Amino acid sequence: MSEGMFYNVSNGYVEGIVRGYRNTLLTGQSYGNLTQCETIDDVKLQLGPAYGDFLASLPPNPSTSSLADKTLDKLVAEFRYVQANATGSLLKFMDYLTYAYMIDNVALLITGTLHERDTRELLDRCHPLGWFETMPVLCVATNIEELYNSVLIETPLAPYFKGSLSHQDLDEMNIEIIRNTLYKNYLEDFYRFVNEDPNIRGTPTQGVMSEMLEFEADRRSINITINSFGTELSKADRKKLYPNFGRLHPEGTLMLSRADDPEGVRIAVDGVTDYRTMMDQTGMGGGGGGIGNQSGGVGGDEGKSLEDLFYQKEMEISKLAFTYQFTHAVVYAWVKLREQETRNITWIAECIAQNQKDRIGNYISVF
Amino acid sequence: MSGAGDREPVFPTRQSLGAMKSKLKGAQTGHDLLKRKSEALTKRFRDITRRIDDAKRKMGRVMQIAAFSLAEVTYAVGNNTIAYQITESVRQAKFRVRTRQENVSGVFLPQFESWQKEDVGSDFGMTGLGKGGQQVAKCRETYTRAVETLIELASLQTAFVVLDEVIKVVNRRVNAMYARPAPLSSTRFYANGNGCSEHVIIPRTENTIKYINSELDEMDREEFFRLKKVKGVKERAAATEEEEKKKNARRTSDKENERQEVNGGGEGGGNVLGDEGDEDDLDAFEAEGFVSQFFLRAKDRWDQEPERLLRRFKAGSGNGEAPWKRFMSGVGVKRFVGFA
Repeated sequence: MSEGMFYNVSNGYVEGIVRGYRNTLLTGQSYGNLTQCETIDDVKLQLGPAYGDFLASLPPNPSTSSLADKTLDKLVAEFRYVQANATGSLLKFMDYLTYAYMIDNVALLITGTLHERDTRELLDRCHPLGWFETMPVLCVATNIEELYNSVLIETPLAPYFKGSLSHQDLDEMNIEIIRNTLYKNYLEDFYRFVNEDPNIRGTPTQGVMSEMLEFEADRRSINITINSFGTELSKADRKKLYPNFGRLHPEGTLMLSRADDPEGVRIAVDGVTDYRTMMDQTGMGGGGGGIGNQSGGVGGDEGKSLEDLFYQKEMEISKLAFTYQFTHAVVYAWVKLREQETRNITWIAECIAQNQKDRIGNYISVF
Repeated sequence: MSGAGDREPVFPTRQSLGAMKSKLKGAQTGHDLLKRKSEALTKRFRDITRRIDDAKRKMGRVMQIAAFSLAEVTYAVGNNTIAYQITESVRQAKFRVRTRQENVSGVFLPQFESWQKEDVGSDFGMTGLGKGGQQVAKCRETYTRAVETLIELASLQTAFVVLDEVIKVVNRRVNAMYARPAPLSSTRFYANGNGCSEHVIIPRTENTIKYINSELDEMDREEFFRLKKVKGVKERAAATEEEEKKKNARRTSDKENERQEVNGGGEGGGNVLGDEGDEDDLDAFEAEGFVSQFFLRAKDRWDQEPERLLRRFKAGSGNGEAPWKRFMSGVGVKRFVGFA
């Protein structure tokens, strides 16, 4: 119970701020209003109260991507503010949050270097949350060996490269495998951090974050398995990409590594009720229904894809995180919720822009 | 027709008449062929127009679906660098286009067809491995369909443009051949503004033939006149000679009649045509000339319009007139002397 006594000393302000941010998230009512919009301008107007200043600079009838960029800008600004006020283990915790985006950025820059592009213009495409100080230095490297030996070592991601990837790997392996290897190492490291850090261990943070990270790990394992069907990724390589924790670990992941088709995935996840229900809902594995029911509009299929269900589940977990007090997990949950909100807005804007109103209800409203 | 005086610069000889006739025949055959070609092309053209319409509608739908599936990818992946990742990881095109030619009535139309290169692996097959991979695969499928539709449309559009050009050319040629206004309203539209001046070759050849015929007739008449004249002169000379002989004979035998005979011969020589005393001989000659002319002209007419001649021949027997006479006037022998 010590966290109840001392948490607020260092982190109370941040937690309060984040809870305030959480209250400004769009509600079901707001989404209802958004879906009634006829044009992007209407969407912009509806978003006014929540996003005011950030949308002001948008031209009339902005593209959906610029709209999404602006909503992301708000998240970034708020995140930066929270980060600036964080201390101690919370600061470290928030650093861990940004590592996920860093991995994406680094993968992007490696892709650029591999194809000998001018990596400078890639910096604009990088996710702002994954920005780190030495990132522009990545652009200096002109070949992979240089990149690996002198540049990547300096990044916060260096531990994730070390031991599992050599510079030859960078050259030869598919960038997606590199990305997922990094992500696996990152998740394991994050998991270790929330479970072993003296300031976090034994607090609600450990409990909530373990659940979230386990879910994330399982989601990645299942996704990698399903998405690797029909590609040249071998089962042995696939197994290396599964994080070594999570509710499916170790039996589930072992079975996943042996799965050949959605049916195999279904059998593998059978031990965990949540995932089994998801697989049933998508019709996957049951009768050999097609993967990705979020299909190309023709059928107007109302069924949700596995991705949708995972997002749904993630949002539920994030929502529940706010029931705890004195925990870092609210920051994580808030970021996830905000990301989902950005996706929702993009989705609705796309539907409106492309005049596909029948699919507009596919967003995930949490509150 | 403004082309009454329009003819080719030829000398009116029988040889050039023959050449003109074969030219006319060739032109008519060519006209028929070209018209048939034009019709075949037009048929094809309409077919293509209809298919373009279908393809465009289909493209609208398919592109919409494709664009939307891209939106789904963005939603599932959660950031917008996915497009960049995909374009960067592709090294070789899997979806390719090749062309072949299709022959429509001698016109080569380019046809595009798409095919997938088998040995090219899906380079970005693992994009979105962590999340969104299914959507990426879906998107790839829909865009493949979209590109297929686009290629089909491109093929049709190219054929459309090429055919349009060719139809214009062919129709202009058809028009250039013949006098009649073109049967298709579109052909008139394609002619370069002053419509009728385009109908050139056949009318001009016909004019030339007409001209050569009339010139030949004229020459025949001249020749006939000249021969008659020569004959008259010759006869007169012969008569004078006869007179001379007689006179000489008479001078030797009977010298008192000399002056009288000389005066009478002078009177006969004054009549140059000399068509009184020698009528029978002359008619026979005339007939001979006309008969040869008649056969030539009859043959010409027969070549040109056999039906009409036959009709005339038959009609002639109806109203009491001698059929052959009608026939003769039908073939253009107006004055037929001394053949009955």
